Amino acid sequence: MKKTLKKKYPFTMLFLCFSSLLMIFPFIWMILSAFKTSSDVYAYPPKWIPSSFKWDNFAEVFKKIPFFRFYLNSILVSVTQTFLQILISAMGAFALTKLEFPGRKKIVTFMQSSLFVPEVVTIIPMFLIVSWAGLIDTYGGLILPELSCAFTTMLLMSFFETIPNDLIDAAKIDGCGYYRVFTHVMIPNARTALGTSSLFAFLTHWRSYMWPLLATNNVNLRTLPIGLKYLVQETSTEYQVLMAASVMAIVPVLIVYLLMEKEFVQSITLTGLKS
Amino acid sequence: MKRNVVFTIAVLALCVIAMPAMAAGSETKLTVWYAVSGDSGEAFKAMLEKYDAANDDVSLQYSYSGNYGDTATKVSAALVSNTAPDVALMAAGPLYTGARNDFFIESKINDSDFNKNDIFPGVWEYAEYNGRICAVPYGISTPVLFYNKAIMEKAGINMKNPPKTWDEFFKVAEAAQTKGNITGASDFWGFDVTDVAWLYKSMLSQNGNTVIKVKNNNVSPAFDDEKSVEVATFWKKLVDAKLMPVGQHSNAEKKFLSGNLAFLVASSARIARWAKDPSLKVGAIPMPYFKKPSVALGGNVLIILAKDQKVKEEAWKLVKYLARAENQTGYALKTGYLPIRKSGIALPEAKETIEKNEMFGVAFDQLDYAWSYWHFEQMGTMDQILVQVIDSIERNTMSPKDALQKGAAELQAEIDG
Amino acid sequence: MKAEGRNRKAKKYSMAKDQKRAGMVMVTPLVLTLLCLFLLPVVLVVIMSFTNWSMTTPTRNFVGLKNFKFVLNDPRFWKAFWNTLYYAGSKLVLETGLALFIAVLLDKKIHFRKFFRVAHFAPVVVPITASSLIWLWFYDPGIGPLNQVLTALGLPPSQWLYNQNTSMASIILFSIWRGLGYNIILFLAGLQSIPESYLEAARIDGANERQVFFKIKMPLLSPVTSFVVMMGIINAFKAFTEVDVMTPNHGPLESTLLIVSYIYDQSFTRGKMGRGAAASLILFLIIFLFTLIQKAFGRKRVSYD
Repeated sequence: MKKTLKKKYPFTMLFLCFSSLLMIFPFIWMILSAFKTSSDVYAYPPKWIPSSFKWDNFAEVFKKIPFFRFYLNSILVSVTQTFLQILISAMGAFALTKLEFPGRKKIVTFMQSSLFVPEVVTIIPMFLIVSWAGLIDTYGGLILPELSCAFTTMLLMSFFETIPNDLIDAAKIDGCGYYRVFTHVMIPNARTALGTSSLFAFLTHWRSYMWPLLATNNVNLRTLPIGLKYLVQETSTEYQVLMAASVMAIVPVLIVYLLMEKEFVQSITLTGLKS
Repeated sequence: MKRNVVFTIAVLALCVIAMPAMAAGSETKLTVWYAVSGDSGEAFKAMLEKYDAANDDVSLQYSYSGNYGDTATKVSAALVSNTAPDVALMAAGPLYTGARNDFFIESKINDSDFNKNDIFPGVWEYAEYNGRICAVPYGISTPVLFYNKAIMEKAGINMKNPPKTWDEFFKVAEAAQTKGNITGASDFWGFDVTDVAWLYKSMLSQNGNTVIKVKNNNVSPAFDDEKSVEVATFWKKLVDAKLMPVGQHSNAEKKFLSGNLAFLVASSARIARWAKDPSLKVGAIPMPYFKKPSVALGGNVLIILAKDQKVKEEAWKLVKYLARAENQTGYALKTGYLPIRKSGIALPEAKETIEKNEMFGVAFDQLDYAWSYWHFEQMGTMDQILVQVIDSIERNTMSPKDALQKGAAELQAEIDG
Repeated sequence: MKAEGRNRKAKKYSMAKDQKRAGMVMVTPLVLTLLCLFLLPVVLVVIMSFTNWSMTTPTRNFVGLKNFKFVLNDPRFWKAFWNTLYYAGSKLVLETGLALFIAVLLDKKIHFRKFFRVAHFAPVVVPITASSLIWLWFYDPGIGPLNQVLTALGLPPSQWLYNQNTSMASIILFSIWRGLGYNIILFLAGLQSIPESYLEAARIDGANERQVFFKIKMPLLSPVTSFVVMMGIINAFKAFTEVDVMTPNHGPLESTLLIVSYIYDQSFTRGKMGRGAAASLILFLIIFLFTLIQKAFGRKRVSYD
């Protein structure tokens, strides 16, 4: 049985090996660059392997910016945003796909159209609103304005649609209220979708730069992407230090991804519940 | 015994809690934003820290506000919502003071302990709006012509007698390109520039063109006359002779540092970092010229945005401190920005640095003929238009004359609104 | 009998009411965030679009439709429009197709599956400051590896980002590379949620792999596909970061000027916030039209099934 599961696909293997190599290329380059000296960076012909593997660039990052503080802020802000966003969106997506109530279609259109406006134009109006609300230089002002629920809700909706209505009806007949249906039927059945959308939400917030810069003046509230900019000079950049900081910045993302990866692999058995 | 300990701790705790509260009563709070990062950011922050520690009656709150563009966005948003900082170090500062009719700094610069005549006159021009001073020039830079020492050596070119005019330079660059290929790369060039508009404006000034005309405080473009066409034609010659690659200016610094470019025009603010790196064999020579030597100023200025009179006075004290010869020159030597004061160049530490690396001397000497035009609202638009004009000249889609005239018309339309 | 029927009716009625209430309660937080974070700023943007709001000076006068007229008569805006259409069209077709193809391969039970998945996701986590540097080196006309490969194959080298004819294509390639991982994950998640029993039932009925893919997987994947396509359209029209880092000053002869770069340019580089606001409302309408077209197509396909 196991043998038939792991069939050999020569074309698939070959293609995937090739494309993986292409995709992972910059990743390797980034890690190697984090160890380079500035003369390695500009060497001609281009140098792949640094002349020595020293941790100088990493130490430099800690010397130049309050890295841990920025790191903690980034984690705090992105995790809170992701959590709130998923909570609001999951409830919304459930209501919009599985429940019948007035104004439903209008809300969907309204929500969809909120994605049509580029952030570069709304950022100044948003700043005015947040400063009227007195939230500049607070965690609230950092977190709330960037909740992008529309995207997450649309994403969850497209997955919720694939969950059969029979499941909900069955639970209703068993005497569940709609809130219970949400927590006990939808959430467990949409784990893949929830995992995917949390990952996307986290990634967006993790690398957000312009809003956190506008919304904070206090260095203690600053996040990692702004920290990276401290290392980039207007006129000249020490690429190797920036690379070292970037490598450290993506570690949590990778950890989150590797944890989430499980969610994709375990395919959900809808059929089992259905029958 | 136990009670005493508890009591002492309680008193101490009270003191700790009360201290900042008491201090806050008499202290003036000053917020400062700065648009410089890396070494420049560190050096600027260090000065603020020093000032904060030395003055008990003020407490500074300072933060990096992003690069020039981001800081501009941040300051304009803050101005609308009344959350602007009291002092800002940023590019195009006069547009946030003079253009709003705030000439507070002008009323202050005659302070005897400020000594405004010590500051280079060309540098003052960089802080004007409608002919009136509304900022204090600070991180000032000029374009500098750098060269790769190894390439010159291989080509047998002696830089003791550098070329003076652009025509002389053209021949030297040609020789460097044909005889000085040190890397053996097929992609090897004689000359390039990182900031196209900056060099072009400098060249215009060298050829007797003022870039803009001012009549009754109304600005209009002047870069479409015969003198400008001459400059553009020379520019085209550099491309046609394959001395300069077409439209790869964003790539120029990389080419230079990897040894595939003989001459590079870039900001003087690169000097400090390049001088620190022993593996880089880089030198600098005075900028060649057409009719007379001239370089356009660039960089950032200090502005005061405080509203309250008392805070304004405190802000001015801070600005004055930062602009002192020893402080500003110290900043310049750490970053590669230029000293703004004549007395700053005469300081022993400045002389010492010049002796150690001649690039500093070349950049500092250029201050004698550094030049600037007034700040005006469409100056960002003008730079962008100039970049497009030169791009279409380099790519041969338009003749220099047509391109310049089209660009000037576009800028005029923007000014007319 | 009659009483029972009434009873059932009442139950149904209460169920509908129950559903209505639950639906409205659960959608409230979402609607609230949309009102505060979308409607409110957009109202301000609309107001701004009718004024000569400037970034530097405090002038804010009502100017009527002047900004809209300017944008619609500006050849640069139309250049940006056609560039964006080219960008959006090519990116959408290539990226969606490629992502679906790779997702199907990654869905197979093969060795090193986990490694392959992580590898295809890698570009998504690399910060653009890092990835743009390596792609700028890839595209270097002199020392870049892409030209070295071309010359080794006996083909003429290209100027890539530095020529007006190839600059946009180079940007598209870079942005597909960056965004592919997202779409692969979406498709994979969709493919994974297709019940194995459906596929097995089809296989037992004698369907080959191709038939299984087109007759079973594709229809079941259609909500995900239409989501990917819709977001693809929206995001392609809103693209900005890639062109901004790869081609400063909008590339050779402004060949990589996109609509959002135009908006950014007007609002911040030129300081004309009102004009930027007007341009973004026009962009809003453009995206709206394109999503309508996409919806019409989507419906058509579903009705064929």
